[in-house]
Amino acid sequence: MSIAHTRRIALPARRVGTTRRALLKGAAIAGAGLAFRPMAPFVSNAEAATPTLRLLMWQPYAINETIAEFESKFGAKFAPTFFDGNSEAFNKMKVGGTKDFDIVQGDGFWPRLYFRQGLTQAVDYGKIPSMANVFPDFLPPKFPLLADESGEHKVAAPNCWGDYGITVNASQVAPEDIGSIALLLNDKYKGKISTNSRFEENIALMGILAASNLGTISAERPDGKPFNPYNLTDAELEETKKLLIQQKKLLLTRYQDYDALDRLMRGGAVWAAPEFTETYRHLTVLKQDGKLDFDIQHVLKPKEGGLGWVDTWMISSGADSERVELAHHWMDSFLKKDNYVRVVRSTGYGGTVDLRDLLTANEIELYFQNRSSEASQLHMFDQPSSPEKWERIWSDVEAS
Amino acid sequence: MAGRLRRLLPGLTPMSAGTLTIATRKTKLHRLFAYRFAMLAGPGALFILVALLLPLLSIVVFSFWRTQSYELFADWNLDNYRVMLSEAAYRVFFLRSLGMALAVTLACLVIAWPIAYFIAKHGGRYRLLLVLLLAAPFFTGVILRIAALQGLFGPIGIINMTLTELGIPPIQALMYTPLAAIIGLVYLYLPFMITAVYLSVINFNFELLEVAKINGARPWRAFIEITWPLNWIGTAIGLVVVFIPCLASAVTQRFLGGTQSASFGMSLAQQFGETGTWALGSAMGVALFFSSLVAILLIGRSINLKRSGFTGAINR
Repeated sequence: MSIAHTRRIALPARRVGTTRRALLKGAAIAGAGLAFRPMAPFVSNAEAATPTLRLLMWQPYAINETIAEFESKFGAKFAPTFFDGNSEAFNKMKVGGTKDFDIVQGDGFWPRLYFRQGLTQAVDYGKIPSMANVFPDFLPPKFPLLADESGEHKVAAPNCWGDYGITVNASQVAPEDIGSIALLLNDKYKGKISTNSRFEENIALMGILAASNLGTISAERPDGKPFNPYNLTDAELEETKKLLIQQKKLLLTRYQDYDALDRLMRGGAVWAAPEFTETYRHLTVLKQDGKLDFDIQHVLKPKEGGLGWVDTWMISSGADSERVELAHHWMDSFLKKDNYVRVVRSTGYGGTVDLRDLLTANEIELYFQNRSSEASQLHMFDQPSSPEKWERIWSDVEAS
Repeated sequence: MAGRLRRLLPGLTPMSAGTLTIATRKTKLHRLFAYRFAMLAGPGALFILVALLLPLLSIVVFSFWRTQSYELFADWNLDNYRVMLSEAAYRVFFLRSLGMALAVTLACLVIAWPIAYFIAKHGGRYRLLLVLLLAAPFFTGVILRIAALQGLFGPIGIINMTLTELGIPPIQALMYTPLAAIIGLVYLYLPFMITAVYLSVINFNFELLEVAKINGARPWRAFIEITWPLNWIGTAIGLVVVFIPCLASAVTQRFLGGTQSASFGMSLAQQFGETGTWALGSAMGVALFFSSLVAILLIGRSINLKRSGFTGAINR
């Protein structure tokens, strides 16, 4: 058994806020689009022969066999454009991209934002019979982010999911210490803990613990909404800062990529680290193959709460009726069980489709097929309420 | 002279001798030189203007603007400078970077001098080869070189694993510490210092040392009074090319330095990356630029051209 670790570094990097580079890329695409507009009639003639589905998507989901089957079945051409981060895709769509793309991908709060801004149109679940395969935990109303705020329109179809849980060397860490974010602040494991270097996940995860300690996590929020670790109050941010400074003394280092964390955990230098499950899955496979001599566990949802993401497919508001049909066909084909097994094995991500009848017992455990209810309770990745405040907090932590 | 001028300027009409004639010829000659200079230096100057000055100018402009939720607003203010100067975190970052740059520069200086001196004096026909060998690490990218150091110093690196196998405790000081970052930076920038010193020493007249010896000077005194001052320009260039990039460095500290090595460069990179606080990052960039400028001026002031043997007379 093997996992294709295709996005070992790219995964955390893709979930970032709006960047100037993304804006410039969007502007460049818009400029190029205008420059080549005079050629449009010729392009249109060519396109008319074979319908083309134009996707703005993450590269790992462009699986050759899946694309070949789709093109063969629907006589369509699959034309993907890849992006790294949500903000990059959003900016492309904002700068005239609704006419250039029929499908766009996004996760967390992004589908609602796309829909609110008129960049995408409602998805008709009735045209996607494979939605019947999706775990109810990933469908509205249980998973509300796939519908607009009113709940009237479905704004996206779910795809893969993941979390930012804590991977633990269970041979070294006491069982009673596993299961809480507080493990990352436990003096017993000084020098054996590592976190990633991104400020957003560090602050958000520790923010959950801070709010939990302060008792504000379940209290009424100033904005009247449920607790969101990306929208912390000033008091919670202060507490978060204290916890992060306290944690810093216990860290061996902040890992820069998953290869580094793999090496550190395999070598026994790190016993606990929050991560995107990639290292956990890799080490689990090694363990199953007899190449690892310690037990490995992954705390998907710590008792205080956890962070996660669900990738989705959305339909561009600029897609005409023919392409809307084709887009629904693509989603349906993609979510079919036979294809989705391939997706999960190829990407190494958790699946929102119930594949338990097709996967081995080991794979069911590896891809968290029995843990969808935990996943749906995670706090979805979001944009910090004030990047400026968060930057200041992170600078104070790093300078301490 | 007139014949040469006519060859250079075929369109020049011969005129009678006199002040006017000479003045006209001089003017035309100057024009010719100016034209040639523009042709030769123009592309380079244009490149510098576009690639260096314009981005620098934009950074200066952004530093007076404001960012909010990943967007830049042209609200002219001094807030970014106020934050940078009043918040302790940025001072800590700067002082850390300054201390590290000074330590690395000093270490490079101490290590580079004997190597450069040895190659220049005793390298013989292998001198060029030896100098090129010093550049061997540059055949790979900086990330790869740092990764190699991680494989050497890390908790599961060659050194510590070997020690562990031998039953000796691993060297904690090498594992994700400021010392590891300093060693990494020295490794990265040492070739620059060696090259700068070598290029100076290679032109040094070693017979002067013989003369000093004959006159009773001990080796160290000859070095202090002759070798060092006469090669100060090369050393000064080495100091600049090591100190300035070290002051701004981020990658080495990030990969090798652990949690106590967050530098000014790392913070600056974060402003332009994850946090999207470009205006503050721009102010930090401006501060870094002027700090570098001050360092160059300070080192530049220490250079005595005549004492160094570089009078520039050869070009006059």
